[in-house]
Amino acid sequence: MPLVKRNIDPRHLCHTALPRGIKNELECVTNISLANIIRQLSSLSKYAEDIFGELFNEAHSFSFRVNSLQERVDRLSVSVTQLDPKEEELSLQDITMRKAFRSSTIQDQQLFDRKTLPIPLQETYDVCEQPPPLNILTPYRDDGKEGLKFYTNPSYFFDLWKEKMLQDTEDKRKEKRKQKVLQEIQKIEQKNLDRPHEPEKVPRAPHDRRREWQKLAQGPELAEDDANLLHKHIEVANGPASHFETRPQTYVDHMDGSYSLSALPFSQMSELLTRAEERVLVRPHEPPPPPPMHATGDMKPIPTCISSATGLIENRPQSPATGRTPVFVSPAPPPPPPPLPSALSTSSLRASMTSTPPPPVPPPPPPPATALQAPAVPPPPAPLQIAPGVLHPAPPPIAPPLVQPSPPIARAAPVCETVPVHPLPQGEVQGLPPPPPPPPLPPPGIRPSSPVTVAALAHPPSGLHPTPSTAPGPHVPLMPPSPPSQVIPASEPKRHPSTLPVISDARSVLLEAIRKGIQLRKVEEQREQEAKHERIENDVATILSRRIAVEYSDSEDDSEFDEVDWLE
Amino acid sequence: MAGQEDPVQREIHQDWANREYIEVITSSIKKIADFLNSFDMSCRSRLATLNEKLTALERRIEYIEARVAYQLEPLCLDLELTDSSWESSGHSADIDQVLTM
Repeated sequence: MPLVKRNIDPRHLCHTALPRGIKNELECVTNISLANIIRQLSSLSKYAEDIFGELFNEAHSFSFRVNSLQERVDRLSVSVTQLDPKEEELSLQDITMRKAFRSSTIQDQQLFDRKTLPIPLQETYDVCEQPPPLNILTPYRDDGKEGLKFYTNPSYFFDLWKEKMLQDTEDKRKEKRKQKVLQEIQKIEQKNLDRPHEPEKVPRAPHDRRREWQKLAQGPELAEDDANLLHKHIEVANGPASHFETRPQTYVDHMDGSYSLSALPFSQMSELLTRAEERVLVRPHEPPPPPPMHATGDMKPIPTCISSATGLIENRPQSPATGRTPVFVSPAPPPPPPPLPSALSTSSLRASMTSTPPPPVPPPPPPPATALQAPAVPPPPAPLQIAPGVLHPAPPPIAPPLVQPSPPIARAAPVCETVPVHPLPQGEVQGLPPPPPPPPLPPPGIRPSSPVTVAALAHPPSGLHPTPSTAPGPHVPLMPPSPPSQVIPASEPKRHPSTLPVISDARSVLLEAIRKGIQLRKVEEQREQEAKHERIENDVATILSRRIAVEYSDSEDDSEFDEVDWLE
Repeated sequence: MAGQEDPVQREIHQDWANREYIEVITSSIKKIADFLNSFDMSCRSRLATLNEKLTALERRIEYIEARVAYQLEPLCLDLELTDSSWESSGHSADIDQVLTM
């Protein structure tokens, strides 16, 4: 149905009721008609002004473009004359090493959005009757959706399509990962057939230490899982290229046994930990949405997950259960994809989509900000008990005398990743090999905090071992900055003073720098994530391109890097 | 009767004259509106053509800039042809064409 764009206002010249008591009606009608003609002329002039205004704006923008093009052509002509064909050095290496040429043309998107409505149509729209003010009921809703969205939602179809596209990309990615996993398992089996024992030996040495510690910490209950886990750890160790999260089966076991990261060789550990930091930032988005949207479920967190840089975490339903705090639970099992298709019912979609109102930023900075500023917050005794997932090899050796969780000291940890420290070392007190200084440092963000907590916690118990003393020693100078310095001065005389000053300065400076760096990086990453969320939300081109990239890409790395590039 | 008709006739004649006058005016208004609409449409189509040409030019210039810049400073820029339409045509021919335009 064609919409009339502009209207000339008094449509009928003389379709008005004549006033009574007029003698010469014909003259009256004539005069009325003439008056209406004048009104018509005025609206015609407004009509013309509008037309010419739009045309002028377009032509104006073209003039800018033409001028810039002109300049570019001039520059090009100059530079081409400088070209010397003899200088061309086209080697195959150069061609392959080059970064792909990305043209920066902007494609037209969202053509029929409310913002692109022309002014005369907007005026016509304004004249129409408003929809009922259902939005006044919004504050009374439990699920946080806008009331009006149930009556009329202009972005419904776009949101529907977007969810579908993102879901498709995720599905394709998972498929590819599974295929990769299968291939690698096959390779490993072949390797095992060829050389049955050699590959097992190499990674074993680092595993055992950590597993022993965890065994001691966890007690005999979980020792039985070792038999299962060993086999899978070997697989993991022998499959270097695959990421940890790509193994759904090993996931479940790891989650149960909470040995998730312990078995990995060190390089993978550090890599995972750095990645996990990014995810920790993503995850703060998730706990708030799942609780309110529990019934309709998983759609909202999915975009946030998907839009994260690595997009590898899928532990949505788990996250509220496991922790309201951004605990490092990265190896939590992904909620099985079946719930997702089931959640794709229209009602759930609409519900989820309504929760993406105009600023489509996932649950806002306040929760993640506060979560990240967790240091100041709440008593870690609560989070201490929650964290199931992460175990660090280094903290155990440093934290032998850990008994009391001291809230102010755990406060120093940027994230509650120190939580796992406490359950661990309670069991073990002696007999640990000397904590190597390197282990605390490489996995950033976690180690420096943990030694700090460990140090403070190590103070109260008086029985000090020579080996732990050196480690906690350097952390002593770190404590004065933090308010809970009460315990420390008391414990200082207990330390071996000789080792303190020499090591302390270098280590303390380094640790502080690391901590600050990590905190800064986390905030930046979080901002990047949020910016990405905003950028991604309504960009048809990127969504489509990402999906196509995933479909046609052969390697996992390709799709991940593509995603990052598209989002630039 | 004739006397009575005169004022009425006069009025009616006057009325017809007025109506004709109004009719002329309204038809002119309609012509103006028509002219404005057709002007608008033709302008838009021409501007759209212009836009297309500009976009095509911009893309070509980007490509050429990238290629030329690489030739001059191979270490700074890395380029590779990804646009299929460009792949078909010869590279050197493009530069000549653009510069002779």
